Amino acid sequence: MSFLRSTLTVKLMRDFWRLRSQAVAIALVIAAGVGTMVMAVGLIGSMSATRDTYYDQYRFADMFAPLVRAPETLMAKIRMLPGVAAADSRITTRATLDLPLVMEPVTARVHSLPAASPSALNRLVLRAGRYPNPRHPEEVVANEAFVRAAGLPLGARMKAVLYGKQVDLRLVGAVLSPEYVYALAPGQIFPDNRRSAVLWMDREPLAAALNLNQAFNDVVIRLSPGEGGKEVERRLDILLAPYGGAGAYPRAQQISDRFVTNEIDQLTTMATLMPPIFLLVAAFLLNIVLSRLVDTEREVIGLLKAFGFPVRAIMLHYIVLAILLSLGGLALGIALGAWLGRGMAGIYQNFFTFPFLRFRIDATAYLVALAATLVPVMLGAATAVWRAARLAPADAMRPEAPADYSGVAVTRLAAALGPDEPSRIIIRGLLRRPIRSVLAILGLAAATMLYVASMSPNGSMDRMIDLGFSRADRSDLAVAFAEPRDAHAFHELERIPGILNVQPFRTVGARIRSRHHEVRDGLVGVEQRGDLSRVVDIEGRTSEAPPVGVMLSGRTARILDVGVGDLVEALVTEGERPALRMRVTAILDSPFGGAATLDRAILNQAMREGDVLSGAYLQVDKAALPQVYARLKASPMIAGVTAREATLRTIGETIEENFSIQTYFYTGLAMLVVVGVIYNSARISLSERARDLASLRVLGFRRGEVAFILLGEQAVLVLVSLPFGIWAGIELWRFLIGQFNTELFTIPFFVDPRVPAQGVLVVAIAAAATAFLVRRRVDRLDLVRALKTRE
Amino acid sequence: MSRLASQADGEPEAIFRVDGLTKVYGEGESAVHALRGVDLVARQGAMIVLLGPSGSGKSTLLNILGGLDHASAGHVWFHGNDVTAFGDDALTEYRRRSVGFVFQFYNLVASLTARENVSLITEISDNPMDPAEALALVGLEARLDHFPAQLSGGEQQRVAIARAIAKRPEVLLCDEPTGALDSQTGTRVLAALDTVNREFGTTTFIITHNAVIADMADEVLLFGDGRITGQRHNQVRAAPLGLSW
Ligand SMILES: Nc1ncnc2c1ncn2[C@@H]1O[C@H](COP(=O)(O)OP(=O)(O)OP(=O)(O)O)[C@@H](O)[C@H]1O
Ligand SMILES: [Mg+2]
Repeated sequence: MSFLRSTLTVKLMRDFWRLRSQAVAIALVIAAGVGTMVMAVGLIGSMSATRDTYYDQYRFADMFAPLVRAPETLMAKIRMLPGVAAADSRITTRATLDLPLVMEPVTARVHSLPAASPSALNRLVLRAGRYPNPRHPEEVVANEAFVRAAGLPLGARMKAVLYGKQVDLRLVGAVLSPEYVYALAPGQIFPDNRRSAVLWMDREPLAAALNLNQAFNDVVIRLSPGEGGKEVERRLDILLAPYGGAGAYPRAQQISDRFVTNEIDQLTTMATLMPPIFLLVAAFLLNIVLSRLVDTEREVIGLLKAFGFPVRAIMLHYIVLAILLSLGGLALGIALGAWLGRGMAGIYQNFFTFPFLRFRIDATAYLVALAATLVPVMLGAATAVWRAARLAPADAMRPEAPADYSGVAVTRLAAALGPDEPSRIIIRGLLRRPIRSVLAILGLAAATMLYVASMSPNGSMDRMIDLGFSRADRSDLAVAFAEPRDAHAFHELERIPGILNVQPFRTVGARIRSRHHEVRDGLVGVEQRGDLSRVVDIEGRTSEAPPVGVMLSGRTARILDVGVGDLVEALVTEGERPALRMRVTAILDSPFGGAATLDRAILNQAMREGDVLSGAYLQVDKAALPQVYARLKASPMIAGVTAREATLRTIGETIEENFSIQTYFYTGLAMLVVVGVIYNSARISLSERARDLASLRVLGFRRGEVAFILLGEQAVLVLVSLPFGIWAGIELWRFLIGQFNTELFTIPFFVDPRVPAQGVLVVAIAAAATAFLVRRRVDRLDLVRALKTRE
Repeated sequence: MSRLASQADGEPEAIFRVDGLTKVYGEGESAVHALRGVDLVARQGAMIVLLGPSGSGKSTLLNILGGLDHASAGHVWFHGNDVTAFGDDALTEYRRRSVGFVFQFYNLVASLTARENVSLITEISDNPMDPAEALALVGLEARLDHFPAQLSGGEQQRVAIARAIAKRPEVLLCDEPTGALDSQTGTRVLAALDTVNREFGTTTFIITHNAVIADMADEVLLFGDGRITGQRHNQVRAAPLGLSW
């Protein structure tokens, strides 16, 4: 018994050694599955842990409540609200900076510094320099990303327009804040750290500049543990309404946190979507390899059984082999996942400014990887092992009868399709094992799908940017005022030499409601037939704000559950805070559009204000740009400037940077799958056909003609898989787009025709390279041996 | 030198001339001398049977004649061309044009019907027979569209013969064509080979362990230990259908 067992072990190792090149191909596919899983699970864990620790240590607020002005004494009432664990008042405003190294005006958000106490909320991480000295009111600290991007040395002086007043500021430190892990300026979709900044300064000078002595215009709140926040939010809104409260909102709606969470969600999607594809393909590969092995060893199995060898031991034999074949993939996958994860963590570090982001694979990730590897082992080995177990000794000892190809459908179809005998051999071979052929096609299609779906975002992003920045926004600059202004401001802009055209807009903070549904987003008042900024839908068609009523974004309409003709209510959170009832007259999806767009004149009228604007789009004579910038930088009414071209450039650079990495990544993954499938299915086919092919060689077929039969089969599989793969990839991308969209932007569904073409190329190259490897084996077929054996 | 073709009526036309052919498998201690110097001349159109104990080198000789294997030393001249000097590609072309093989285990392509197995070869030949004609010649006109799995062993072997002769080869090499068949079925296969040899003048080599079969040959070569140990010339060839064992 022990002798047999040990001999069986020797056989096991020989089998494994003989199958080594197929094992490598399987391991690569498993590694891709385990690798993407370990990477994603590791990143999710690392990011979540980092975020949670960071938020906790630096006491990031759970709730935010901007308002116009409230006396400091109100804080006592806020702190008394049930569910509020801590609340800090602060002053928040915007400013424009004039920096020597940056041509455009820099838009800054300015906060009063949190108190130096460890119990203060939204505490900062000092990365360089020091905090401002209360005796030097001009001293500020800024977010590190901006300090770097703008190339500012500590001690640098900055001219600023702060709430309409010219002030000189001095940079004394660089900081990180849990509030700005993803530092996105309002109205932007990518961080532009060179042209947008976050500053913190002492509260005294800020209060003086804004006339907020003993008062505040912003509250940040930590909730008691277990507190949901809804009730706190409601009470806060009531409490702050008389003070111009713009509506409290929870952390989940805070922009930086939303992006971090969004990224983690996307990783989760990736972790649930990608690895199963690879692992199922690996299961298929293991299955064909083991099934073939059982087929060729049926006599051995029968012999062992006839000798009274227990079925269990035989099953175990093949299961252990399956595990052996997968272990390499597991190890490789963990290594790959760790490597990719570390790389991705590096990329994230560029995007998200955490004080620390260490990629760590914790025990969970290892367990998940192990479980993930067992899936293909179990799925793949099951039928083969079962077949080995069921083989009756007597049957097993009888040689297998020649495969019967006489199925009517198969015969007719092949006779009809095959122009010559070799093609008939190919077609009948494929049709005779329909399940295997279909699975191989699915595996190959998965590779194409993966490539197409993963590479399509770039085309869609390009298109979104094209829609946003060349069809919708055609201005050179957009300026936002510190406060709404009347027509004088418009004329003032018009009079600046070099400004050729001005198109005003009005934005109003509001909560839009229908029954119990609510969307917190502003109303945007736009000009009819405006040329600099136009309403553009997701297909790129230009449109106009409706002459009456309001136009909602598709997303808003869905959330509010309203259609054209329904009424919605807008609770305005500024000015006299009117509650406006408006009829929905249009619904339109636009790439960057706000929730609700209407004619500016209608909005002005509803607000019972005159010809008021919040800012304007400008067309500028390029030659006069420096002078225009100089005027805007010095203008007291302007709180923010965005230059379309500079924004576009930043976006381009960001995308470019990630694009090449991503291309290599997904090209590599798709190729692994193709190599795995083609190599194994060709090797199995070669093993099944070795005798046929050698006979043909003996009969005078040339090497190329024989290889055609074997590789033609694979070529047919690849060709058939391509349309499915492309289709599935496009559909997968359509599905993913739904997951990626946010209130900030709607990604248009678009597939750059080059992507499927590249996918086909990638698959073809991988298939050809694999074919080359297998071809060498066809060339080395042993002719004489094929004649001696019966198979 | 064994003069297989020494016939009274003038100078024989040799298709094969074999000089000092040796074949050694492996090296040193474990070297196996499969052929230890074989010389022979084969007349065009002859039916030649090779007899000999297992391991005496019959298959090895046939494989070298057919361009499947390389010799260690010596020469095989086919119409004056040195086959032993051919490279792999030339050997492939040689097999494709001039040689037909029939094997003990038929080696049919399971996924092709009888007719298709034959046309597989006729498609790559210059002047082939019609596949149906070739199959009729071996008595299988009624089984054209059957797959190998639907044919008996003897029928499969006759398909293999039809496949081998359909391209009108000059040489037909048969290694134990009846080895897996019973006597009755075997004689039908031999009859097919006999027909082909007579009708087309195809030079035919048949390896067998069955001494009875030697009666249907023009020449009989006796093999022993890698050498030709004897030879026999039959004045009259026995009819295959009359043989039995
Ligand atoms: N590939 C090989 N490697 C090593 N030795 C070989 C090989 N092929 C044949 N031999 C040896 O060469 C010798 C001749 O073999 P061959 O097949 O020609 O014999 P045979 O006369 O055809 O025998 P049988 O009647 O059993 O078919 C044998 O001793 C055999 O073991
Ligand atoms: Mg032999």
